[in-house]
Amino acid sequence: MHINYKLQDRFDLAIFIPMIVLVIFGLLAIYSSTYNHPTASGNFQKQLIFTVVAVIAFFITFSLPQQIFKSFAIPVFFMSLFFLLAVLVVGKTIYGAKSWFGVGGFGFQPSELAKLGTILMLAYWLTYKSRDINNLLDIGVALAIGFVPIMLIMLEPDMGTSIVFAIITISLIFWSGISLFGLFVVLSPSVVVFASLFGVYAFIAALLLIVAALFFFKRDLFNSVTVFIINLSAGFFFDYAFKILKPHQQKRIASFLDPSADPLGSGYNALQAKVAIGSGGFFGKGFLHGNQTQLRFIPEQWTDFIYCVIGEEFGFLGSVLVITLFLIIFLRLFKLSATAKDKFSVLIIIGVLTLLFSHFAINIGMNLGITPVIGLPLPFLSYGGSSLLINMVMLGIVMNIYRNRKLHT
Amino acid sequence: MDDNYFGSYFRRRIIFVIIIGFFAISITQLFNMQILEQPSYSEKSDENSVKPIYQTAPRGVFFDRNHKVLVGNKPSFTLRITPSTYDKKLTPYIEAILGSSPGYINRILKQNESYSKFIPRRIAKDVSFKVIAWYEENASKLPGVDYIMETQRDYSFGIIGAHMFGYTKEIPMETYLHRKNEYDIGDDIGFGGIEKTYEDYLRGEKGIKYMLVDAKQKTIGRYKNGEEDQATVKGDDLILTIDKDAQSVAEEAFKDKRGAVVAIEPSTGEIIAFLSSPQYDLQDFAKVTTNEVWRELNNNPDKPMFNRASMSTFAPGSTFKMISAIAALEEGIIDTNYKVTCNGGFQFGDRFFKCLHVHGTVNVQTSIEKSCNTFYYNLVNKIGLDTWSKYAKKFGFGSKSRIDIPEEAAGIVPSTDYYNKVYGKNGWTKGFVISLGIGQGELNVTPLQLAQYAALFANSGKSARPHFLKGYTDTRINQYVEVKPQTYDIGISKKSFDIVRRAMYLVVNGAGTATNIRSDELQISGKTGTAQNPHGKEHSLFIGFAPFNNPKIAIAVLVENAGFGSTIAAPIARDVIKAFLIKGDKKENKSLAANTSTQEEQIAH
Repeated sequence: MHINYKLQDRFDLAIFIPMIVLVIFGLLAIYSSTYNHPTASGNFQKQLIFTVVAVIAFFITFSLPQQIFKSFAIPVFFMSLFFLLAVLVVGKTIYGAKSWFGVGGFGFQPSELAKLGTILMLAYWLTYKSRDINNLLDIGVALAIGFVPIMLIMLEPDMGTSIVFAIITISLIFWSGISLFGLFVVLSPSVVVFASLFGVYAFIAALLLIVAALFFFKRDLFNSVTVFIINLSAGFFFDYAFKILKPHQQKRIASFLDPSADPLGSGYNALQAKVAIGSGGFFGKGFLHGNQTQLRFIPEQWTDFIYCVIGEEFGFLGSVLVITLFLIIFLRLFKLSATAKDKFSVLIIIGVLTLLFSHFAINIGMNLGITPVIGLPLPFLSYGGSSLLINMVMLGIVMNIYRNRKLHT
Repeated sequence: MDDNYFGSYFRRRIIFVIIIGFFAISITQLFNMQILEQPSYSEKSDENSVKPIYQTAPRGVFFDRNHKVLVGNKPSFTLRITPSTYDKKLTPYIEAILGSSPGYINRILKQNESYSKFIPRRIAKDVSFKVIAWYEENASKLPGVDYIMETQRDYSFGIIGAHMFGYTKEIPMETYLHRKNEYDIGDDIGFGGIEKTYEDYLRGEKGIKYMLVDAKQKTIGRYKNGEEDQATVKGDDLILTIDKDAQSVAEEAFKDKRGAVVAIEPSTGEIIAFLSSPQYDLQDFAKVTTNEVWRELNNNPDKPMFNRASMSTFAPGSTFKMISAIAALEEGIIDTNYKVTCNGGFQFGDRFFKCLHVHGTVNVQTSIEKSCNTFYYNLVNKIGLDTWSKYAKKFGFGSKSRIDIPEEAAGIVPSTDYYNKVYGKNGWTKGFVISLGIGQGELNVTPLQLAQYAALFANSGKSARPHFLKGYTDTRINQYVEVKPQTYDIGISKKSFDIVRRAMYLVVNGAGTATNIRSDELQISGKTGTAQNPHGKEHSLFIGFAPFNNPKIAIAVLVENAGFGSTIAAPIARDVIKAFLIKGDKKENKSLAANTSTQEEQIAH
């Protein structure tokens, strides 16, 4: 046990073990949903290779000197912006979105690298001593760091990933000690945008709420008017943006607002996913015995709907186990954010936590029918090499911070 | 580090609550779904393993007025591909066995790209048994490929009738989105002609067979022994007004010609023959239609897809002279004593309008019999444009006849308002009106309108809306339902009609322009015409009806670019009339002969 203690001191098993178990669950579910499948039967072998590569990358990241990540921030961020631009020009179109580079039989998604780049860049920029996060200009720059990749990813278009970037950006600004008014400035446009989805009256009601809030904050006229104009234009900009959305994305939003409107489209997937999970019962139908999964009722189940394979074949026990493993990782990251010594490390951990949690919540919520169908993979389980690699590298960075937590800089 | 500022208690609480809160919601939802509602989800999941197999109903068959089959059905195999599970590497093998050109399958799949990839696409219809045998042997190596038995249109009954029958085709996306409740993707739907108008009668009701499938999609048996299955209901059979013999003679006569034939039963408006030539092969549409076939048909200079019988419009030439005659007689402008001297034309202002011959003294009857232009140049001038126009419209020109196929043109009958609109108030002269008298100028009519016009002369102003449907058998109640003709009377005196009808009789049986088709047996009356054609040689026209005293058939024949009316168009009209009136049955021949003898007595009076 002594050795184990020493190992735990340098290597956080509370993160590593749940992560590995989740990856194994993912491999099982991918196997079940793709074996004998005419076009996807090779996916299990591919994912196995991805896993080996990702684990190696995890250990490399883990063993690097900690100081190096700060110097990575700028190059990784701009490199990922470059790739995001390039993919729009030369990328491969998969499922209606231009988000992939194809190299041989394998593809690479630059938006995954951009997740790492953006977290590093935001953490780096927000750590500068002279920053005052409650200054409108500094908020603006921080928002811009997040906004540029969001815009590029929206052009692909990949709505789910854009949402994740927005959440990361806002969380990191939030964690940097923004005041209530600052948070209001950052968040209110998204309230307006969301309200505008429900029509003109909701939009006007949201704007009235903003005005009421501005009276509550009792800021000077200039600030108040500026914030109001930002909100108003956000609403109109979104209305315009909604119109340029691809039909399948508009449909997804519409199907969230009225699930019965399109039973055979994205609503169909959501319904079939619920049937798969619900019919799993307490113990599940058994590995390779889920008829929803085996009859291929849910298209591309091995990506965004991997959780219903778990739900159907491993039942309530398996489903709760997977969620619990995620909970352990999240709570562990949460705890580490309090023990880390410098602000940069804290922001990195919070960034990784937000990233994994938003993926997790949106994906599980979609599978359980409590959030709209937004195409996002479930970290560590869904089929896909880029996402697995980047997720493992990010936990590698966190483990690196953990390893060096007692060193003073 | 300032702990207050950085990672304060408040911020940590928010994040913690979100994480734990979401965890709690998820577990609750999982508990709800997997424990509490598990039975209902299980049932839904079991339903998923019952696979409904939809069976298309055979379409209703077309019969002619004597219950001879015109369009039937035949069983056929259809090969399908479901893109979600299909392996593109199989394409060359399937193309080879189908004998289709390389790239064929890709084109079909591209054409249907907008549909969900989980819906099977028909790749080839009417495939041979050899292909099916090959498929059965290799089925396990052909994921995403299957075949179904369907009934298919059978056009092997001796006539083509492409333009009136129309064709069936897979339902297009736009139509499907409007009629989601009634159709599935890939269903056939009537396109054009009778197939379209009577789609709701013809399509019948789909049947459903419920099959049990295992987790590998393999069929393991019938669900509840087929108790829940629904049988297909065949579409209603249509009894058409068409006479197969007459139609067949018309098609034969037009084999190497362009033009149209429309024949109508005057008292009922029933269409006896309806032909637009050249035709296209409906069989091409019974298969899976590629864009190439479409392009070829659409680019053909003879325009085979164009329904000349009810859509082509042209100036009707001399066949229109009776309009002026009727108008002048009805309005009291002339009577049978009115005479004009034809010196070979008519001087109007500084223009000379020519006649083909020097006819000498001409009255209203000889003007029709000999087709004298001079008489009508004079007459239309006397009648006046708007009165003339009123009478042309009474006979159905310038508006659609509301025939029961969707393809129909209204044509143009000019009036003062029309010319003012097109040329401006002072932009046109009376000279425009003069040529209308002989059916030339800015006058546009269809062969269908001319046939209905002939029917109105045949029956002295009483007829019915032209139509194809005589009745149908309602397969749900297994009863024949007759369709009543919608009759009307254009309100012109019998006296005027008698004068003009007599003249039309003389065209064929006197010293007129179509004596070449004179037949004591048939007693045809009619009028020849030559339609000026700005793009080439004139069109040959004949309209007529028979027998004179008790007309059973009225007809219009248009032969494009064939010159003078009597030589080409009139003999075709005679042959079609003969095919309709003289059947193999000898009794009918006798009674017809008896009829004609009384006729001649009447004419002699």
